[in-house]
Amino acid sequence: MYRNGVQGRYKQTMDSYDASESTPRQSTSSRPEDYFIGATFLQKRLESVRKQTSFVPTPPRRKIPHCSLLQEDVDLQKVAFLLHKQWTLYSLTPLYKFSYSNLKEYSRLLNAFIVAEKQKGLAVEVGEDFNIKVIFSTLLGIKGTQRDPEAFLVQILSKSQLPSENRESKVLWTGWFCCIFGDSLLETVSEDFTCLPLFLANGTESNTAIIGTWFQKTFDCYFSPLAINAFNLSWMAAMWTACKMDHYVATTEFLWSVPCSPQSLDISYAIHPEDAKALWDSVHKTPGEVTQEEVDLFMDCLYSHFHRHFKIHLSATRLVRVSTSVASAHTDGKIKILCHKYLIGVLAYLTELAIFQIE
Amino acid sequence: MDETVAEFIKRTILKIPMNELITILKAWDFLSENQLQTINFRQRKESVVQHLVWLCEEKQASVNDAALLDIICEDVDLFDMKQFKNSFKKILQRALKNVTVSFRETEENAVWIRIAWGTQYTKPNQYKPTYVVYYSQTPYAFTSSRLRRNAPLLGQALTVASKHHQIVKMDLRSRYLDSLKAIVFKQYNQIFESHNSTTPLQERNLGLDVNMDSRIIHENIVEKERVQQITQETFGDYPQPQLEFAQYKLETKFKSDLNGSILAEREEPLRCLIKFSSPHLLEALKSLAPAGIADAPLSPLLTCIPNKRMNYFKIRDK
Repeated sequence: MYRNGVQGRYKQTMDSYDASESTPRQSTSSRPEDYFIGATFLQKRLESVRKQTSFVPTPPRRKIPHCSLLQEDVDLQKVAFLLHKQWTLYSLTPLYKFSYSNLKEYSRLLNAFIVAEKQKGLAVEVGEDFNIKVIFSTLLGIKGTQRDPEAFLVQILSKSQLPSENRESKVLWTGWFCCIFGDSLLETVSEDFTCLPLFLANGTESNTAIIGTWFQKTFDCYFSPLAINAFNLSWMAAMWTACKMDHYVATTEFLWSVPCSPQSLDISYAIHPEDAKALWDSVHKTPGEVTQEEVDLFMDCLYSHFHRHFKIHLSATRLVRVSTSVASAHTDGKIKILCHKYLIGVLAYLTELAIFQIE
Repeated sequence: MDETVAEFIKRTILKIPMNELITILKAWDFLSENQLQTINFRQRKESVVQHLVWLCEEKQASVNDAALLDIICEDVDLFDMKQFKNSFKKILQRALKNVTVSFRETEENAVWIRIAWGTQYTKPNQYKPTYVVYYSQTPYAFTSSRLRRNAPLLGQALTVASKHHQIVKMDLRSRYLDSLKAIVFKQYNQIFESHNSTTPLQERNLGLDVNMDSRIIHENIVEKERVQQITQETFGDYPQPQLEFAQYKLETKFKSDLNGSILAEREEPLRCLIKFSSPHLLEALKSLAPAGIADAPLSPLLTCIPNKRMNYFKIRDK
């Protein structure tokens, strides 16, 4: 959706560095300070790239999600509406000159932009009410460390026009921006940039597109849909199975898509969550951590149990969805978080994926 | 009258159930009204039959007359559509005051039944009817939508009206009635005999990589051929009936060849629910072994679906 969009400042500096230093840089602004900011920013980026010792995209071990200390600040009521909803994931490059003290102003500007876009006849739905309200607000406590920037939320509400009705506003669209344990990215940007690499949206695609366009124009950033490959889905399944739960609200389920022709075939494999946990506990060796070896063994056990009955090699097919009592994730970049206790843990993994996509 | 004819008539009449006897005798039209009125049908059956045979002897029944009686019996033995419809409707109406029942007969001796369900106090809901297709020459009926409340009543109505003893739900579901029919009536393997055809090797289409070692090529051909042959033997050469899914509820212990210690002490089985979905499941399963995604032979749990006429299974350790 944003692939043909405006190139953000973030990307622009990267491109221009490759060109010869003597040629003047094509930039949206001609102020000399911008050039220096760009160069400093870029130097820091190169340093961080050199620090990476291997090209393996994900670390060989991760901490099992646990209740982070900061979570005590989390307003449970506000956070409750983040749960049990399906969110579409995007990675977002750092926002240039974004300020938390301007949220009211942003609400006004975005509101005007949306109304203007809709009046232009772009993405108008029949019978849609133009009477909307845009609200920017911060989400306290949705962060990994104190260094992470504050998460914020954007909501579009429709205002009821009839005076007789209770003035109840219906939420048309919700999107939130966050950063959980984003140190690797934070280290590389200057103060003018706010890093909130993970963006989650719920609502129609047309609304997401309009809002994304406004953000890109206003803060020189770049959205990119965040797909989750089978490798990361397996990790998520293992990690979420490893989480300690008082009671299970959902069965543990995997969905594979089999590349056979001419007909497609989907295989859904649901296992009782207590049995999944028992299997994990039998595989798990390192306390407090999950290793690549353990993830592989866990998945291999599931594959071999399946093969014993059906003689089908699930490893030759494509894992597209995993679902547990903690959360469920789909390869198209969709997530649903079911457990508030591990909200931060789930977001931490997603932030990692988003940062990797940006870099 | 010939002894053999008398004996034949006696045996034919003995086979007729008492409640149908008068109807059949009237349809036969050999004995007159007056003659039938002389018989006390409330006696023991043997006595009634004896009396009837004696009347037939008096009237000199011939072989042709006896044969005609036989045909009439067969005809009534065959399905009485009117009686079925009346009985079915009556049972439902007696139980629920409000119910709409409609019938439509089609070829192949099938009767389509539409039922709109109400209750003692509410009118029938015409927007959520149940459809039933009953093949009168077979002990099978197919019902649409999942009934919960009215399933036992529908089962009872079908059983009684069709004069069977009990109704059993089969673990077979699909959106395609023709496929269900094909599986239930075993009509899908009409060209079963041809599966033993010996097609020469050259005519089969096997992809070859000419740059490979000739020994490996040979092994690959042998393996590919083996897979093709087994797949063909299992599934046959004919198009598969169309099913959309198969579901397996597994409660089996974990036994791994990977690592003997995993879950070794656990007595309880793993509780799994596995569901295969596809626009055309059996064709998709057939393509798995040749594609290398599954072993050949494929598991009998999958290949037995048409034969066992099931697509819902519960599997436990023996």
